[in-house]
Amino acid sequence: MTDTALVELRGVCKEFSTSHVLPVDEETRKRRLFKKKVVCAADNISFSIAPGEIFGLLGPNGAGKTTAVKMISGLVRPDAGQAFVKGLNVEKKRRQILRHVGVVLEGTRTSLWPLTPFENLVYYGMLKDVRGSVLKERAHDLLDFIGLQDKKNVQVRRLSRGQKQKLAICIAMIADPLVLLLDEPTTGLDVQSSRAIKDKVREITREQGRSVLVTTHDMHVAQELCDRIAIINHGKLIACRPTDSLLEVFSEQVFAFRLDRRVPLDLFSGIPGIIKSEYEGSEEPELVFQLVGEQQDLRSEALYKIIRIFEEQKCLLRSVSQRKQNLESIFLRLTSDDPDADVLKKGNTCLSS
Amino acid sequence: MSFLLVMKAELVRSFIIMRRYWFRTITGLVLGYGMLMVLVAGFIYSREGLEERVQQFDDPSSATNFILGFIVGMFAFGVVGMFTQGLQGMAATGVLEQLCMSPHGLAVNFMAQTVVSSVATILSSSIMVYAVTWSVGGMLHWDTIPVLILLTLTFFNLVGFGFMVGGLVLVFKQVGQVAILVRMGLFALAIFAKEELLGNPWPFTFLLHVLPITDATICIKYVLIKGQMRDISAAGAAPEMVFSSVFAHSSFYWLIGNCLFWTFVGLTLFKLMEDYSRSKGTLGSY
Repeated sequence: MTDTALVELRGVCKEFSTSHVLPVDEETRKRRLFKKKVVCAADNISFSIAPGEIFGLLGPNGAGKTTAVKMISGLVRPDAGQAFVKGLNVEKKRRQILRHVGVVLEGTRTSLWPLTPFENLVYYGMLKDVRGSVLKERAHDLLDFIGLQDKKNVQVRRLSRGQKQKLAICIAMIADPLVLLLDEPTTGLDVQSSRAIKDKVREITREQGRSVLVTTHDMHVAQELCDRIAIINHGKLIACRPTDSLLEVFSEQVFAFRLDRRVPLDLFSGIPGIIKSEYEGSEEPELVFQLVGEQQDLRSEALYKIIRIFEEQKCLLRSVSQRKQNLESIFLRLTSDDPDADVLKKGNTCLSS
Repeated sequence: MSFLLVMKAELVRSFIIMRRYWFRTITGLVLGYGMLMVLVAGFIYSREGLEERVQQFDDPSSATNFILGFIVGMFAFGVVGMFTQGLQGMAATGVLEQLCMSPHGLAVNFMAQTVVSSVATILSSSIMVYAVTWSVGGMLHWDTIPVLILLTLTFFNLVGFGFMVGGLVLVFKQVGQVAILVRMGLFALAIFAKEELLGNPWPFTFLLHVLPITDATICIKYVLIKGQMRDISAAGAAPEMVFSSVFAHSSFYWLIGNCLFWTFVGLTLFKLMEDYSRSKGTLGSY
């Protein structure tokens, strides 16, 4: 466990097996009696989260994000590896750890709909061992903080989805946890609600020094909110970097050359530093090169060679631009079978600084 | 202390829901009362002819045996159902995940929920037993302390058994459907359980003793129907009834043993299944 980290996953692995009765075999197209399917939800995942840090876990559906959250909260036991919270092993000190962890899983389902937000907070507070005047005071403070004070006596079933989500965050915070695990906190919310929740999460982290783990599909949420981002696919952690660094690595390596005519792509094959070259557009084609991100010398040399080829081919170079990438494009490339995913793996910083 | 706090939370929650959904609460009470009155009215109506009719049974207490068994069976059906249907319902609404993440542990949370939910079942069962006692005019012998002790032991016996079934439901959610059959089995056993059943060959008798409702029902029927009177006459001689407390009855000791056995087995299995479902990733999910 790193000295400063509040949460750490160390080499955790998890496989789930599902049994299917009378499935159709994909190869033979014949029906089988029984088939067991094993899905890898976590394959040697390691990362840590420092106090006051918002850590984003990105990945497509079924990538293993929720499994990671559940392993930290003790809802799922890893097959191998260990999870730590506040330096305590989740498997060995689960009950102790649960006092320090607040979890929002599918937020709108967390609360009891026949009760009001205030009653929900009191109920879950007691389950989390908070009692008496402290509990009531904290419930009021949280409702104030999240902006639900005017709805405190309205039954949850009458609240909007965003309000239910806000309440779920309050419920997770009722025991004053050091760690907040938010599984898809803004999914299905409108822009305003999403913005409000992002602001509150930022406030919880920056001003109150809590660690927050956010899992999301929404690249904007991750880009705006997270200090560090890990990208997970098929249970494997394929990138883990500070958000700026993640964007930087890719923003430097895509160059688009607008030419007066097409130049054969074979001329560029074999140039070190070029990962991919392709034409985009038809009338005025743009030749787009993906160059290595981190080796500046190699990239510079590749650019010189490219321009030299244009010269030799007597092409009119109309414009050159460097493409700024957003997290979405990085995410799509990393979760596809793009070979340059390896570039990011080299610079992974899974442990909190 | 933690159990009491969780129980307080459950009590407050139940009370709020009962108060907030007052219409449902009142209609439930009216319906329950209505059904009870139909049952009682049936007894009162047939009271005059009841004594004649019960002569037709080999055992004069057959009619009350059946009705009392029906009530105990309903109680068993309800308590075990809290663990099966209750768990499935909480898994479906997502509340189970929150309970799993409570530092008190799932077993404590669930025990508190069951105790609170059972209060209503125990109350309604007691009222029904008392009403039947009143309506059959002395054919049942109400004795508060033994009845309360027996009901409490029966409750914990069933809770232990319920924890075992609930543990299985945690891992295999579809077991809930099979559990309905188990509940029906308990229900039937409560109706037909009587001391004479224990005169069968020992493997069958042992099986009946192990089942959570047999001795409980026998003891309750012994107190309420037989009035704790035992026939000590020799075979073929005229019956000679003497008072023999239920606390001296062999079934009472079986009931205590049963209670300890099922509580231990139920809680152990629930804990094991909770751990197993964490490994399988099915805890809290439906």
